[in-house]
Amino acid sequence: MRLFLLAASWVHLASSVLLTGAFFMLLLAGNPSERPTARRWERTIAVYSRRVLLVALGSGIACLLARTAVFEGRLEAALEPRAVWRALLDTRPGLIWLARHGLLVVLGAFLLLPADVRETRNWIAARVEPLVLGMLALALVSGSSHAAGVAPRTVLAVAVDVAHLLGSGIWIGGLVPLALLLRAASREAGADSRLYAERAVLRFSGAALATMIVLITSGSMNAFVQVGSVAGLAGTAYGHLLLAKLSVLVPVLVLAAVNRVRLLPALSRPTTTVGCPAMRSLAAFVGLEAILALVLLALVAAMTLTTPARHEQPVWPLPFRFSLDAALEGPATRWRALLGSQLVLLGTVAAIASLFVRRRRAPVLAGALVLIAVGAGGGLAPFVVDAYPTTYRRPPVTYHAASIAPGMLVYHEHCATCHGATGAGDGPSMQGRRPPADLRSPPVSRRHAGEIFWLVTHGIPERGMPGFENRLGDAERWDVINFIRALGAAGDAGRLGRVVEPERPWLVAPDFAVSVGPLAPGALRDYRGRRIVLLVFYTLPGSRPRMTQLARSYDLLWIMGVEVIAVPTDASSEAIRELGSSPPALFPVVTDGALDIVRAYRMFAPGPHAELLIDRQGYIRAIWKGDTEAMPEATVLLGQVEQLNEERNVAPFPDDHIH
Amino acid sequence: MPVWQVVLLVNLTLAVGLGLGYADWGRRADRLYQELEATRARVEQLERERAACTTGARAGEQQWEARGIVRAIFPRADLLVITHEEIRGFLPPRTTSFRASPKLRHAVRVGDAIRFSLRGAFRDATIVAIERW
Repeated sequence: MRLFLLAASWVHLASSVLLTGAFFMLLLAGNPSERPTARRWERTIAVYSRRVLLVALGSGIACLLARTAVFEGRLEAALEPRAVWRALLDTRPGLIWLARHGLLVVLGAFLLLPADVRETRNWIAARVEPLVLGMLALALVSGSSHAAGVAPRTVLAVAVDVAHLLGSGIWIGGLVPLALLLRAASREAGADSRLYAERAVLRFSGAALATMIVLITSGSMNAFVQVGSVAGLAGTAYGHLLLAKLSVLVPVLVLAAVNRVRLLPALSRPTTTVGCPAMRSLAAFVGLEAILALVLLALVAAMTLTTPARHEQPVWPLPFRFSLDAALEGPATRWRALLGSQLVLLGTVAAIASLFVRRRRAPVLAGALVLIAVGAGGGLAPFVVDAYPTTYRRPPVTYHAASIAPGMLVYHEHCATCHGATGAGDGPSMQGRRPPADLRSPPVSRRHAGEIFWLVTHGIPERGMPGFENRLGDAERWDVINFIRALGAAGDAGRLGRVVEPERPWLVAPDFAVSVGPLAPGALRDYRGRRIVLLVFYTLPGSRPRMTQLARSYDLLWIMGVEVIAVPTDASSEAIRELGSSPPALFPVVTDGALDIVRAYRMFAPGPHAELLIDRQGYIRAIWKGDTEAMPEATVLLGQVEQLNEERNVAPFPDDHIH
Repeated sequence: MPVWQVVLLVNLTLAVGLGLGYADWGRRADRLYQELEATRARVEQLERERAACTTGARAGEQQWEARGIVRAIFPRADLLVITHEEIRGFLPPRTTSFRASPKLRHAVRVGDAIRFSLRGAFRDATIVAIERW
């Protein structure tokens, strides 16, 4: 059924595009007046457009039936009136289908009207009206395309898609009528309309150039929105279809360029032969361009039925990738990269210069290519790092205390014996052996989460690391990776002081559930964009004086935009009762799931009492740890909060997943 | 009829059809949606008032049921401070102080998870029943 839907979608899209282009070409070519060949061509295109319209309506109905079957998940639903009715009236694509086909029916009725177009205004009206109706029907396709599912900025995405569709309609759809006109005029009998055809092709050439700019701009914007990354392009079905589309587009553009640069000027040259060979060649080339463009539309139809790359997990196809971080690691690699890039730059300049020199062009070009090859070979090498199929896989588990804490347990059970309790590579079983990499060091922390997932899953046989595919489930492996990331972050947290460093958020606070009593839990991320959070880990009775102080200052802190979240280190479910009521502590006290939060955050701030100031974007900005004596006075704390409130450069919210 | 007049007629028909279609169906759908929301809120309020009536409330008073956890007790002010879940048609989830009789106040301690009933007008709701859960 999907194959049938694909075929129907292709035929429908192609016929809608051809229809728009045919009316555009008729209008662009102008009134043929008393030129018999051009008049005949106009009549041919009128008949052609009626047939294409019938195909569009027929394939549209086929699309609707196929979509109904897919929507209902039953093949026989395609022939059940009630199911078709439901797909038509209860879904957005169905309503758009109705509007589009309503317009096509009006267009069909208009085309069937007997029209006297001898008067200019009647001729213009008879050409503009079907063009407007055809363009409206084509533009409405965007209403049920992938662009309509983009959020936010849906209107912009749909507008860009409409521009792309109309551009395709004008360019691709105009090619067939143009080829027919050129072929008719190139014959001996068509000599009366050669000037007309020449004028039409010149006008089309200008319009196609403008359209191409619109198509490239809107296509790039669409690709950015729907694909979003190189991994999405290289590692998903949608990306592969886009690459295939580009690979068909290149020869189409080459053909268009040959037509414009070589064949178009040849049209105006005097010819001694019967007919016009240049015009015949141009007709053949334009026809070829049209066939390739129809292949392009088949790929577009397939893309509309494929999940956009942004919503797919990419499978990286290459054993390597380029990493800027890797290249900038040491001074030697930095120099190598710099030298290589300069050689490539020099080679590019030489290659461009070779286009302008007349003498010794070949040696200059060869030298330029050698420079580029040497520069790229030498300069790119430091950027190359190993990659795996899962390199760009997005973790399904968020960077959350409820993942880090179990990850810690799994790590201590399966990994610590080699990697050591702190990830330093000093585990007991590595005595006298080559130690594994320090998991907190930049080479590991810069690796994509998907790469670590691959290494944990399949191991590193040459270094003696076993794979854990059969011993740990997917979720457990991602938990370990979240823990490893937290290990690296906790190492970096040492750089964070007791005072907020202005405008420099960099340490992401792992998310956690805020469960107060039996009520529905919230989360740390719920405070993003709303409140600064003072996260307090306390141990009674030692922390009581500090908790009393915080309870008394809570009103003032709240007014300053701070929420205090208290987490008992003993994870007591009676935490609220134990805090007592004189003075009452009215801030959220976590009574459920505190153990995971304590385990995850102890890596950042150990000790019986610790406080972390988390800004509105979700970054840890200051840490106070030790005993309650080391905690900031109310005035100092309020000063730090004021500092955060005054920050103007708001950092983006951190990603919920590690990368 | 000349073609340009036909075109004018077709376009006018389309424009008027779309305009009238929106003016009739589109605006009617909006209005119906708003009426539905208002009616739903009114039905909920009436249900709360009926529930209040069956337990001896005065006319116009409503009754809400909610769950929460006792955070503080202020005996002199007759207040209980409760961190509660959303009280539909009244309050979002937050920590709020409510008036409660001494008998009810003595029945709970700080830290107790409770199910409670509120009765009264919006700004004057009082706790009328509490049970632990």
